[in-house]
Amino acid sequence: MAPPPDAPSSTLRPLATLSPPSNSRAWQSAPHPSLPLVATACSDKTVRVYSLTSFTLVHSISGGHKRSIRSVSWKPGLKGQSVLATGSFDASAGIWRRHEGGEQEHDFTGAGRDEEDDEEAEDEDYQFSCILDGHESEIKSLQWSPSGQYLATCSRDKSVWIWEELEDDNFETVAVLQEHDGDVKCVAWHPEEDLLASASYDDTVRLYREDQDDWVQVGVIEGHGETVWWVEFEGSGMAQKDFRSRRDGLTEEQSQHVELLERSGPRLATCSDDKTVRLWRRTPKERSEQDSRSTGIPSVLRSFSIDEEWLEDAILPQQHERTVYSVSWSRKTGMIVSTGSDGRIIVYKERWRDPASNSVKTSVQNSEAMEGVGNSEAKAHTPSLTEWVVVAELFSAHDVFEVNHVCWAPRKDKGRRDDDEEVIVSTGDDGVVRVWVLD
Amino acid sequence: MELDKDNANPTILNPSDLPSRRRELAVKKREDGGTGLFDELIPAYTYLNDPFDGPVSSSDSDDDSVEDIDEQEIYDLISSISDPEHPLSLGSLAVVNLPDIHIQPPTNPLSSISTVVVEITPTITHCSLATVIGLGVRVRLEQALPPRFRVDVRVKKGTHSTDDQVNKQLGDKERVAAALENGTLMGVIRRMLATCE
Repeated sequence: MAPPPDAPSSTLRPLATLSPPSNSRAWQSAPHPSLPLVATACSDKTVRVYSLTSFTLVHSISGGHKRSIRSVSWKPGLKGQSVLATGSFDASAGIWRRHEGGEQEHDFTGAGRDEEDDEEAEDEDYQFSCILDGHESEIKSLQWSPSGQYLATCSRDKSVWIWEELEDDNFETVAVLQEHDGDVKCVAWHPEEDLLASASYDDTVRLYREDQDDWVQVGVIEGHGETVWWVEFEGSGMAQKDFRSRRDGLTEEQSQHVELLERSGPRLATCSDDKTVRLWRRTPKERSEQDSRSTGIPSVLRSFSIDEEWLEDAILPQQHERTVYSVSWSRKTGMIVSTGSDGRIIVYKERWRDPASNSVKTSVQNSEAMEGVGNSEAKAHTPSLTEWVVVAELFSAHDVFEVNHVCWAPRKDKGRRDDDEEVIVSTGDDGVVRVWVLD
Repeated sequence: MELDKDNANPTILNPSDLPSRRRELAVKKREDGGTGLFDELIPAYTYLNDPFDGPVSSSDSDDDSVEDIDEQEIYDLISSISDPEHPLSLGSLAVVNLPDIHIQPPTNPLSSISTVVVEITPTITHCSLATVIGLGVRVRLEQALPPRFRVDVRVKKGTHSTDDQVNKQLGDKERVAAALENGTLMGVIRRMLATCE
């Protein structure tokens, strides 16, 4: 039944090239949380907002930043308006607003209305609403927390800032975290908890949460041998959606593994200049600790620390030849996609390892791959029950250019096959954003 | 930045001792087995459609074969860069040397990406300008070579006290991109590259 590990079972088919492209490097794209839009951060100091139904440019946001825009993030959970945060090499973050006049209702009305919506959209531009100053040098990444309460930013100045929006356009700095020894490349929020992760030029990933009104570091992940370029949490409740959702016929060991993962919560994916993509899993706290947490006893009196231990869960099959810039976890299927300097896009899927053949070929615990990396104590337990296999592999996704970012987005064009279908959105040095489907 | 020269008395090579195409041509072409060694591995690519490919490649194509770029050509592109603190070229200061330039062809028939690795030799081990020189070399090659080339510039191992740090910086695309938006630094780079054309 299972295909051989070295023959990808699917292909990535080009669906669209968003037009017109930017004529300078595009860094990163963010799908809108509810509308069929994607915003792209460009080095020409603009953000380009494209439609994922017509694949054309809907808005171009400019005039706010003095240097390259490196990162964009949509504020989640809003109705009737869109809020976009932009992080720039000019060391500032911008907040942009636009009222969405009932566009959401037209969302499913089909092809006839699309054009109309696009015209309507042009009537009102994104309004620059405020600027967040504080970082000393280039902002490399920013992201809203899932609740929309916090915005995290990070910079070459080695710091991570957490901003809280008290009311519209009134932001307060709630934390300046200076744990890293190098540029902070990327920040990401946990989907369920107020837990923040940051990845850095110092080769580490650090985790932070609030403890008695102060944000503090609660964990460090060491393992990558070079700069960690991207960090992203797994989606919420994926055990109900991915391969783990089929519970019948599982061995006792496999059932225990599913239960362990559920107690750990969403995992973390990272990618690096060391050419690897790695997954990390939190060691679940003992039940007694969790009980005392809910009793409301002040943490100074608690018997446990808030520190978290994150251990390596897997190294994905090594398909990249140069720096891996970006990795993204599908919230629908649990599949992972990665891209980087070699211009390749790779899609991976997790499955139960065939207990009969303890094949080392795609082994996630491959000792060769771990060579010289360090945290050998993380490897003490038995080999993983699951393995990650390559589902699709695409060369030269953006012709000969480097690909800076890749992510999943809901498919919204006329050709979509079902409501849950996803596309992969890739963003490259050629200034182009491409949309791919997995066949 | 340029107040004190790190090395006031560098060794200078005689121009006639520098490697050049003239002398190499007859021998080199033969040992490469002629042209086209890598060409079959590279899918057809139309440079005409490429917005990033300026007039450089057309003016650089001194022979009419398809983009067969060799180490000597890379050397020619970067040896004429000026040192940021001496009125001398990186070639004559032996900061860049032909044997320290390597072109790696695509590793996979489906890939068209070639890699150029240049190892630079700073004139003295604590030369604070090593990063700027490396950046100049990287910028020069990224501007002059077709985009299918990835450029890796490194400090030659053991020639610099902080070579790992310098290498990490030079290899970081985001830092390089940000540096190129820095007016002061770009001024220095522009002066270094002014002697190239």
